[in-house]
Amino acid sequence: MEIIKELQYIVGSKLVTTEPSELYCYSSDASQILGMPEYVVRPENTEQVSRILKLTNKHGIAVTPRGAGTGLAGGAVALSGGVVLDLSGMNRILEVDIDNLQVAVEPGVVHAKLNEALKPHGFFFPPDPGSSDMCTLGGLIANRGSGMRSVKYGTIKNYVLDLEVVMANGTVINTGSRTLKSSAGYDLTALMVGSEGTLGVITKALMKIHPLPKSRIVLLASFEDAEMAGRAVVKVIAGGIVPSACEILDRMTIEVLNAYDLKTPLPDAETILLFEVDGTESGVQEEAEMVKSICRSFVSSIRIAADEKEIDEIWTARRLVGAAISRLDPQMTRVYVGEDIGVPIKEIPNMLKRLSSISEKSGLKIMTYGHIGDGNLHTGMCIDVFDEEQWKRLNQAADEIHRTALMLGGTVSAEHGIGSARGEYMRLERGLALGVIAAVKHALDPKGILNPGKLGI
Amino acid sequence: MLESDIRSIFKCVRCGACRSVCPVFEEIGWESSGARGRMLVALGVSQGLDVSSSVFESLNTCTTCGLCRQICPAGADPTGVVENLRHQLVLKGKMTDSQFNLHKKITSSSNSLGEVLDRKMWLGERINEVGKTADYVYFVGCLGAYRYPEIAALTFDLLKQFDVTLLPYEVCCGSPLIRTGFDADDLIAHNIEQIRIVGAHTVITGCAGCYNTLKNDYPKMFDVMHVSEFLSEHLSDLKLKRLELTVTYHDGCHLGRCNGVLEAPREVIKAICNLKEMKTNGENARCCGGGGGVRSGYPALSLLLAKKRLAEVPEGIDYIVTSCPLCLKNLTEGGSDTDVIDLVELVAFAMEQ
Ligand SMILES: Cc1cc2nc3c(=O)[nH]c(=O)nc-3n(C[C@H](O)[C@H](O)[C@H](O)COP(=O)(O)OP(=O)(O)OC[C@H]3O[C@@H](n4cnc5c(N)ncnc54)[C@H](O)[C@@H]3O)c2cc1C
Ligand code: SF4
Ligand code: SF4
Repeated sequence: MEIIKELQYIVGSKLVTTEPSELYCYSSDASQILGMPEYVVRPENTEQVSRILKLTNKHGIAVTPRGAGTGLAGGAVALSGGVVLDLSGMNRILEVDIDNLQVAVEPGVVHAKLNEALKPHGFFFPPDPGSSDMCTLGGLIANRGSGMRSVKYGTIKNYVLDLEVVMANGTVINTGSRTLKSSAGYDLTALMVGSEGTLGVITKALMKIHPLPKSRIVLLASFEDAEMAGRAVVKVIAGGIVPSACEILDRMTIEVLNAYDLKTPLPDAETILLFEVDGTESGVQEEAEMVKSICRSFVSSIRIAADEKEIDEIWTARRLVGAAISRLDPQMTRVYVGEDIGVPIKEIPNMLKRLSSISEKSGLKIMTYGHIGDGNLHTGMCIDVFDEEQWKRLNQAADEIHRTALMLGGTVSAEHGIGSARGEYMRLERGLALGVIAAVKHALDPKGILNPGKLGI
Repeated sequence: MLESDIRSIFKCVRCGACRSVCPVFEEIGWESSGARGRMLVALGVSQGLDVSSSVFESLNTCTTCGLCRQICPAGADPTGVVENLRHQLVLKGKMTDSQFNLHKKITSSSNSLGEVLDRKMWLGERINEVGKTADYVYFVGCLGAYRYPEIAALTFDLLKQFDVTLLPYEVCCGSPLIRTGFDADDLIAHNIEQIRIVGAHTVITGCAGCYNTLKNDYPKMFDVMHVSEFLSEHLSDLKLKRLELTVTYHDGCHLGRCNGVLEAPREVIKAICNLKEMKTNGENARCCGGGGGVRSGYPALSLLLAKKRLAEVPEGIDYIVTSCPLCLKNLTEGGSDTDVIDLVELVAFAMEQ
C-alpha cells in the first residue's frame, strides 16, 4: 500500500495531509530553521502513534514530533522530509490526583490550560515558560524547558515522574513510576526529558504538582547599569534567599514593556531587576526586606509592586516581551538567534559586559532580559529582514554570544533546546559526551528515523 | 502582493500566541486554520505557492474577528493580511464559488441577501414620517431591512424623536463584498450620494459590519455612530423604566474590538437592568462566528463557533443582548437556550408603559 493510504488507514483521512499549503504551515517553528515535510499527521492516541512509527520505521521514513511549534531551535521542523507528527490534538488532562500531588496529561495539553485546571484545587504546575499560553507540555518536556520560576522551583525535569513513550520501532514503554522516588535501574525518564523527539514520542506524562503559595511580593529594583544588577543578583542568592523569580530587564526591554500600556509604568532606568518571593505571608515579608537591604548598596531605587493586579500585569507583559520588541519599529522584526544562553551565576556581570561589547561591535542593539536568577539570559535582536547585510551581522553576533557563553563555562541553551539551530555548538559544549549521546541515539533508533538532523548528532 | 503586505507578514515572529485565541483554529486544529498559519499561507502565496482550494480554505475560514491582531505581541496584523490577500486574489480572478455567488447576488440585488422586494417594506405606515433632509440619518442595513424588520422599525421609532431620517434609496453598505476581497465602489458611491441628498453629517447604524465599513472603508465625509452610542447620549430623554432583569452582552467583533465601541451599549444596558458579563468580553470577546464571509461560505463552521460563544454565557440571565443583527442571527441559530435580543428591543421593553 502507498504510505499515504496506510497513514489514512491508521488515523482516518481527515487527520493526514499532503496539501502543499498545509505542509508550508508546518515547515517552520518560531526559529529561523525551515524544512518541508511530506506528510503531516495528527494522531489521536498512543496506539495510532505506535502504528505510525512501525510503518515509518519499516520504510525508513523520518518522523518529526511537534507540539505547538513554538520552539526556538527548529526542533519541530522536518529536515529530511517524511512525517511531521502534530501531537497538539492529544490534549486531554487525564487525571488530577491531588492526594498524590500528581497529574497525568496527554502531550498536547497547552501549559496554561493545565494551570487553569489546577487552580480551583489550590495547586499549580511551577515550570512557567513565557510561551505558557501556547506551548504544549510534550514540547516543554522534550525541550527540557523552564521559565521564570525555575530559580526556586526548578525546571521541567524536576517534575516528570513517568512518561509513556513510543519508541522508534513502535514499542510503547513507561520510563518511570508513580512513586516520588525509585532506584530501579537507568533513569529513562531523565533520558527522555530533553531528548527533543530524537529518542521516542511522548504520548503521556505523569508529573508532580505543587500547592499554590499563600502569598507573594514583587520588588522592582532600578540600577544604573546592568553589571550592578548582575552583582546584586549574585549577592541576593549568596545571601540565602531563593526568589521565586528573578528577572533582568535592560533599558530596551523596559521601553518595550512600557509600550505595552502597563497601567503603572516601570521606572525609567538602565536596568531593572524584578524579584518575586513567595510563601507564607510573614515569610515573604521577611524575605522582601532582606532583598531590599542586600540591594540597597547597588540600586538607584527600589519599590514593591502595589498589589496582585500590578504583579499579574507585569508578569503577563514580561512573558511575551521577546516577541514584542518587533513593535518598537515598523521596519524591524525580532529574529530568535543566540537567544538562550546560560552562564554560572558568578559570571553574569561578566557576560553582561561582553554582551554590550558584542552589541557595539556588530552595530546591532541587543536587548537583554531573562531569568538572571539562574544564569539564563535571553538576548533579543531586531533587524530589517529584507537587508542581507543585517542578517550577516546578526548571525555573527549570535555566534559570538554562543562562544562567549561557552568560554565562561556556560551553555548555548538554558531552556529552549538545541534543535538544529544550535547543533554546531554541541561538540564544543559537550565534548566527548557527544559521542555517547550519538551511541544512545543509535541504540534506540538504529534507522535514525526520529527527528534526524537535530542535537548536532 | 504589495510590499506593505509582505512587510506585514514578516512582522510575524511565528511565536504561536495566536493559537491560543483564534476561534477557528480551535475548531479545525490544522495549523493553516489559525492566524499564524494564515500568515504562512500568505507568505507562501507571495513566493509562488499554488492557490489551491486549501489556500482558499485557510484564508476564507477567517472571520476577520481581529482577536489575533489584538493579542499579537509582535504587532503583526493577520486580519489585515487575510483581507488584503483575499482582495489581491480576487483582483486576479481567483475566488471560490461561494465568493463568486455572493458577489453576483449583491451586485445584482444591491443587498447581501439577494432580495428583490422593496428595501423599505418594514416601514409600513411610517413611510409618511420620513423627513427629506436631516443632520442624522439611520442606515438600516440589509439584515435590518429584510430579516429583522421589527428591530429596524423599533430603531427608527426611537431615533425619529430626535429628527433622524432615512436614506431615500439605501443599498448594501458593501461590507460583505469588502470582507471577502471585492471592491464595493459602486455601492459606496451610491450611498454617499444618498447621504449628500439628505444633507446628514452623521450616519447611525445598528449593525457592527455596517459600522466598520461606513467608518473605515468610506471616504471620511461624515461621522458614523452606532445606535448604542446615539442612545447612550440621549439616555435622559428616553425616560427608561428600570427592569428586574439580568442580561449579558455579546460584543460584535467589528464594533467592539475593531472599533472600540465597548462602553456605550453597556451604559444603555446598565440604565435599564443588571449586566452580567460573558466569560470573555470587551476587547477580548470571542467571535460569534458570523463575520468575514464565514457565515455564507462555511455555515457549519460558523454554527460551531456560535456554540462555543454560547458556552460563555453566564448562569442566571434572562437575555443575551447584542447590537448587531448578524451576531443575533448566528447566536440564535447556534442554538441558544436563552433568547437573544437586540439592544433596541431591550430599550423598547423599558419604554413600554
Ligand atoms: C514568545 C516565546 C517565549 C518563550 N518562552 C520560553 C520560556 O520562557 N521557557 C522555555 O523553556 N521556552 C520558551 N519558549 C520556547 C518554546 O515555547 C518551548 O521550547 C516550548 O516548550 C516548546 O513547546 P511546543 O509545544 O511549541 O513544542 P515544539 O516547538 O512543537 O517542539 C519542540 C521540540 O519538542 C519535540 N516534541 C514536541 N512534542 C513532542 C512529543 N510529544 N514527544 C516527543 N518530542 C516532542 C519536537 O520534536 C521538538 O524537538 C518560548 C517561545 C516563544 C515563541
Ligand atoms: S501573528 Fe503574531 S501572535 Fe501569531 S504567530 Fe505571528 S507574531 Fe505570534
Ligand atoms: S481574525 Fe479571528 S478568525 Fe481570523 S485568524 Fe485572527 S483570530 Fe483567527
